[in-house]
Amino acid sequence: MSQFSAVQVPKAETIAIQVTAPNQVKLSGTITQKDPANDLAGFFKALHTAAVSDRLSEVRADVSGLTFVNSSAIRLFVDWATWVKNERGHRYTLRFVTSRNVTWQKTSFMALMSLAKEVLAIEHVT
Amino acid sequence: MEIAENSPLSRKLAPYPLVFMRFRPAWAYIDGIREFGRFFCQTTFGTQELADRACVVLQETLENAVKYSSNTPDSELELSIESDGANIEFSVSSLPDAAHLDSLREELNGIQTLDPEQAYLAAFIRASNEPEASARLGLARIRYEGGVELSMKEETGGRIRITATGKL
Repeated sequence: MSQFSAVQVPKAETIAIQVTAPNQVKLSGTITQKDPANDLAGFFKALHTAAVSDRLSEVRADVSGLTFVNSSAIRLFVDWATWVKNERGHRYTLRFVTSRNVTWQKTSFMALMSLAKEVLAIEHVT
Repeated sequence: MEIAENSPLSRKLAPYPLVFMRFRPAWAYIDGIREFGRFFCQTTFGTQELADRACVVLQETLENAVKYSSNTPDSELELSIESDGANIEFSVSSLPDAAHLDSLREELNGIQTLDPEQAYLAAFIRASNEPEASARLGLARIRYEGGVELSMKEETGGRIRITATGKL
């Protein structure tokens, strides 16, 4: 059984999260809590660990529906990219599906890409 | 930019800002004020791009102000939005706890040595290298994504005013 699709989805007030086998997670809504790590850091870490265990070649994180996030939330994506970059076992490509129409996604994923381009891919949708 | 006579901006010479708010430093207000700022900028200036920039400036400046406000009765925040028809200025006045002031000053000085894009990238690299530390992406994000320059003024009574100024 896929460990990735068995990862427990956290309940967070302003975000809808959907995990789909074998390798997709979709987030939509907004993330502006004071400390979004409380809801999401463990979840992202569990997805990362599961992706390594499942020996996935790619994880597809669709954030195109995340219309606004604060910088504490952006930090969670930095952390995830850093885990993949520093992974000594099985490495996968972390593909972020982003929207051209959402300003924070254009600027922040461009910056993230330059941080860990060897493990990241950015896909744009309208 | 040409300003129509009936535009809210035609009041630019009036001795008050386009928006002025005073409120307690509570996290619960931030989402509502950000979305008001989006609506206000979209309605007044007619561009989605400016509305998005306003959201980033308001979210991050207000988060900082709320997070580091001193817990005293005179710690209310003041937000103003002003424009002269060519530029827009967002200004947040707060009463921070003393411990935060030095780190804020240092952070502002640090990001201003680099151009906005480079400063944002540098903040990402620092966050990546220091996973246990706080993110400290906010100010660099305001400059880059918000398309503004930041300044800090220390006022009487320990209050500070963070001002973000950019082109319309």
